[in-house]
Amino acid sequence: MQEYQEFSADVKFQERPLAMAYVKWQHFDKVYDDLEKAYRSGTIFPDLNKPFTGRRCVQ
Amino acid sequence: MWSYEKRLQFPVKIKEPNAKLAQIIISQYGGPDGEMGASMRYLSQRYATPFREVAGVLTDIGTEELAHLEMVATIIHQLTRNLSMEEIERSGLDKYYVDHTLGIWPQAAGGVPFNACEFQSKGDIITDLSEDMAAEQKARTTYDNILRLITEPDVCEPIKFLREREIVHYQRFGEALRLTTDKLNEKNFYAFNPGFDKCESCKG
Amino acid sequence: MNGKEQLLFNIGVVDFTLVDLALFLDTHPTDRRALEYYRHYAQIKKQLCKEFSKKYYPLTMEEANCEKAWEWGAAPMPWEGGCE
Repeated sequence: MQEYQEFSADVKFQERPLAMAYVKWQHFDKVYDDLEKAYRSGTIFPDLNKPFTGRRCVQ
Repeated sequence: MWSYEKRLQFPVKIKEPNAKLAQIIISQYGGPDGEMGASMRYLSQRYATPFREVAGVLTDIGTEELAHLEMVATIIHQLTRNLSMEEIERSGLDKYYVDHTLGIWPQAAGGVPFNACEFQSKGDIITDLSEDMAAEQKARTTYDNILRLITEPDVCEPIKFLREREIVHYQRFGEALRLTTDKLNEKNFYAFNPGFDKCESCKG
Repeated sequence: MNGKEQLLFNIGVVDFTLVDLALFLDTHPTDRRALEYYRHYAQIKKQLCKEFSKKYYPLTMEEANCEKAWEWGAAPMPWEGGCE
């Protein structure tokens, strides 16, 4: 069986090399209890739920 | 290979046709940042990835994008179903109708047909994942632009769902990039292409 | 929603949970909590799909009955909802 790497320790941001993009590592933290709400939101993870609220208002 | 489940990933039940909206939303079918481009991009890139976990991410997200393609087609189909000839003429859909009647054909809202120039498969894992992260943001922005134009809840609900999936996919591609850089030498991630070069430095 | 629509919706909810978990597991393959959630909902999805294909129509080719007729072809297509 292939060995998978563990990412339990998140390396400090300042220690990472230049010239690369870094996305924060997600840990399995909160999951919506209400799965129907999760379905309508588009994710089971509340931390990833980022709704759009913009509207163009012209004077 | 692929199996098919005879249901949409998220329900689409649009009661009122709206030809004008259909002409906009078609960009998420065959447009530059639409679901066809997304699925073809990820499913094409996966062959050259040197790391199995990343190939897994590309396969699974690419497959999900095919399900989204089906949802977008369904939205367009339901928005254009049973339109009268007067509505087709008045809405400007006549330009599309003459070539496709009410068939679904992949093009952008502006009329540019879907083509492989809408995506890249560079054969370099860092480059491909960077392209994928950008692709998810472009798709998200397109959905933001669509949401500003919609008031009907029937249409809003599946669009909001599709938009949120782009944000989740962005996170996963970001994590795939982390998995990749963790396997490379942090002194220089760009020393060689792990999917192509046999060694870091070769003579001759 | 009628009984059929409600069951199909519930399958959608559970399957979506599995999809979001699967993408998480693609980058976190040894996460115990995620694996546990996945196993739990995979069981539920299996049961719901079995119930649906028995009561209404097959959602996959494997579930289709092929004794008297090709049941798979007769099932409605997913885009048929909406303004009927």
